[in-house]
Amino acid sequence: MQKMRFLVYASLICLLTVINSFAAETVRRVVIYDNLVTEIGAPPASLISVDNSDLWVTLADLKRATKFVLKPQGVCRDQLCFPIPKKRRTAFLSQQGSVTWFNLSEFARLLRQPVAHDVETAVWYFGPRAEEQNGYLSSFTAPNFKLPDMSGKLHSLSEFRGKKVLLLTWASW
Amino acid sequence: MVNVPTAVWINERGRIVRPNEVAFVDNRYKSMTQLEADEYLNAIRDWVANGEKSAFVLSEQELKGRIAPQNSEWAQAAAEFGLAEYLYHQGKSAASISHYKEAQRLNPDSWNYKRQAWALSDAERDYGTNFMKEVQKLNGKPYYAPRQLPEIKKQK
Repeated sequence: MQKMRFLVYASLICLLTVINSFAAETVRRVVIYDNLVTEIGAPPASLISVDNSDLWVTLADLKRATKFVLKPQGVCRDQLCFPIPKKRRTAFLSQQGSVTWFNLSEFARLLRQPVAHDVETAVWYFGPRAEEQNGYLSSFTAPNFKLPDMSGKLHSLSEFRGKKVLLLTWASW
Repeated sequence: MVNVPTAVWINERGRIVRPNEVAFVDNRYKSMTQLEADEYLNAIRDWVANGEKSAFVLSEQELKGRIAPQNSEWAQAAAEFGLAEYLYHQGKSAASISHYKEAQRLNPDSWNYKRQAWALSDAERDYGTNFMKEVQKLNGKPYYAPRQLPEIKKQK
């Protein structure tokens, strides 16, 4: 009897967890792409998978969150275009009434881009690809970071081109 | 950068010529570190005077030996860490913990992921460890990049 009660409770907890995460994805999602934080609308219920492994976005949200746009030749940003595999087109695009939805997480898998997802808060973080990072490393160019001065004014590394920079970390204890 | 004081040298074109390493510029911790600050200060002076010809400017080969290339697990760890940071700064510290842990699991050698997570939480409660315990496990091996000035230049 006790075992049965335990199984019922365990099932209820699992169900509530699934419902809770499902609910988070149906309200709003936050996408962080190239450090840009964008809140995007919820997809129709038919596009929410139980395991929350897919992030479907409208083409307008795709552009707002990532600067990528859908073109006949593929998904493009500036001069860079990634063709959508013809045989797997439905994994990337879904027409729901008059709205075209794009599977941003599937696109990340195609590019081998790392994605971290917090199911409870519906936050999706898209990180730089290893190959992209290694591009910096092969040239040994320092990333163009910004740091505040003593009065809080931000300065970027690029302001110091033409000068040697000693980037020293210290603590004020 | 996982400890202080450390420094990176970046040349006029924005290129790293010495990656992050220990950079004591005075001798207040010499009794603990056995590091003479003058050697490092002289190396900086040599770089300022001689630029790319300074022996302290590392060759491409030396740089490659000191900067590890990314792999897919490390890239995923960086994404998990980025997500954890976002959640923490949104006031969702409880939600951030599992992502800090995942970053640490995927890139166990990164002390950035460890120190940041421990500093933002009750490390014992949330991670079952703390900074001093983990340092002791290293048996004296530094968790940060040690200073590696060329031997011949130490006599300059």
